Amino acid sequence: MVDVVTSCNRHKYESQLALMHEDRRRIFVESLKWDIPVVDGRFEKDQFDNDDAVYLLALDAKKETHLGSVRLLPSSKPHLLGDVFPMLCDNGVPRGDDIWEITRLCTAPQLRGREAWLARSYLAVGMVELALLYGIGRYTCVAETSWLSSIMAVGWECEPLGLPQEINGESVGALIINITPATLQLFRMKMGWRLPVLELDAIAKAA
Amino acid sequence: MSLLADVQDFVRIANRVTDMKELQSLLEGATHELGFDYFALVHHVNIYQTKGNIVFLFDYPSAWADIVDRKGYFMDDPVHLACEKSAAPFTWADLSDMIALTERQREMLDAAKLAGLGEGFTIPIHIPGEYTGSCTFTTRLGQQMRWQVLPAAHYVGSFAFEAARRLAMRLAAQRGQAASEPIQPRLTRRQLDCVVLAGRGKSDNDVAQILGISGQTVHQHMEAAKRKYEVATRMQLIVRALFDSQISFADLVG
Repeated sequence: MVDVVTSCNRHKYESQLALMHEDRRRIFVESLKWDIPVVDGRFEKDQFDNDDAVYLLALDAKKETHLGSVRLLPSSKPHLLGDVFPMLCDNGVPRGDDIWEITRLCTAPQLRGREAWLARSYLAVGMVELALLYGIGRYTCVAETSWLSSIMAVGWECEPLGLPQEINGESVGALIINITPATLQLFRMKMGWRLPVLELDAIAKAA
Repeated sequence: MSLLADVQDFVRIANRVTDMKELQSLLEGATHELGFDYFALVHHVNIYQTKGNIVFLFDYPSAWADIVDRKGYFMDDPVHLACEKSAAPFTWADLSDMIALTERQREMLDAAKLAGLGEGFTIPIHIPGEYTGSCTFTTRLGQQMRWQVLPAAHYVGSFAFEAARRLAMRLAAQRGQAASEPIQPRLTRRQLDCVVLAGRGKSDNDVAQILGISGQTVHQHMEAAKRKYEVATRMQLIVRALFDSQISFADLVG
């Protein structure tokens, strides 16, 4: 299942968030070699890991193991596309209460095959459920173009916000993703799971 | 109109396209807008031996399509081979730097020129658990491609491939040939451990020692995994598990 962590319930998820930041270091810094800050030599954490961030955490049944996570930021506040990569949008950065940004989507490095697929699926469905609950109509994201086909293969309906550009030797582009109730239906069908994946309990406490 | 606006229009239509003919003419139009003459949108498989949801759409001159067919060039197409080595798009001029071209592959590139093909730009399409594919844009002989359109061509090719892939899956499902998602045999964690170690060149006895279980148990895990994949050898098992992303290259060479 997927827990929703906001500034309101963060105190109950200290250990899980620490595991998330460690896995993020392993994935984004050690494997993918991104040039981003590491805190205390252990945690990948930047200026956007702040009170505005909403995290979706895929955890095991005991809520002790980090299986995957994603960070969501409102586009009306500081966010990666708006503050670091605005040049990727040819016609300005899209902002609005119904537009949020997806960053740091990952699954735990030790997961293989079906386990990793399941964690990714939970997070994908979780992002769509949260969008429908929060009234988010569109997600934005910055993506390496080599991932574009895999992102679309999940079923995300993407449109480019600008042409891809070479940044630090990688070709990257900004995308906007449309979310509708049909998206939820499609994702649940692909995953073979009809019930909500978000822990609604956590949302109620967060609200 | 800016290049981006053209790409965005293309993407909006491609996201909604409902049949291959519609996509073919949409992509033909975009190909010419980008200053190219031909396109090929294909999964890298031998279409005569593969059933199911395969993307295969092109508008090469029929003379060239006939030669490719007759000579079986799709078997060792250097462009397809280069796609296996690259996540990023490349031009045909880059080919000789990317792979060691065989005699036959040089002959194929020459034959393409004779058939009227000029410069080519190829976008590899990699999706875990699926066949590699690509979108290639080509000029006619004597015509140069315009470098400034390549980022736009990159996006047009990627979005066109996804539209074709989605249509192909829908058509295959209608024909009842394949489920919309490939059915992956599920290997247990222990079976995966054994497959990874076998892929690192370990014998059953080595694997037994490393995992602290008996050689007989390792043998049983490997046999069960082979049965799930319906393959006869360890080699086939490792290759299939890699293809399905059940194990990764990093597991084997890391």
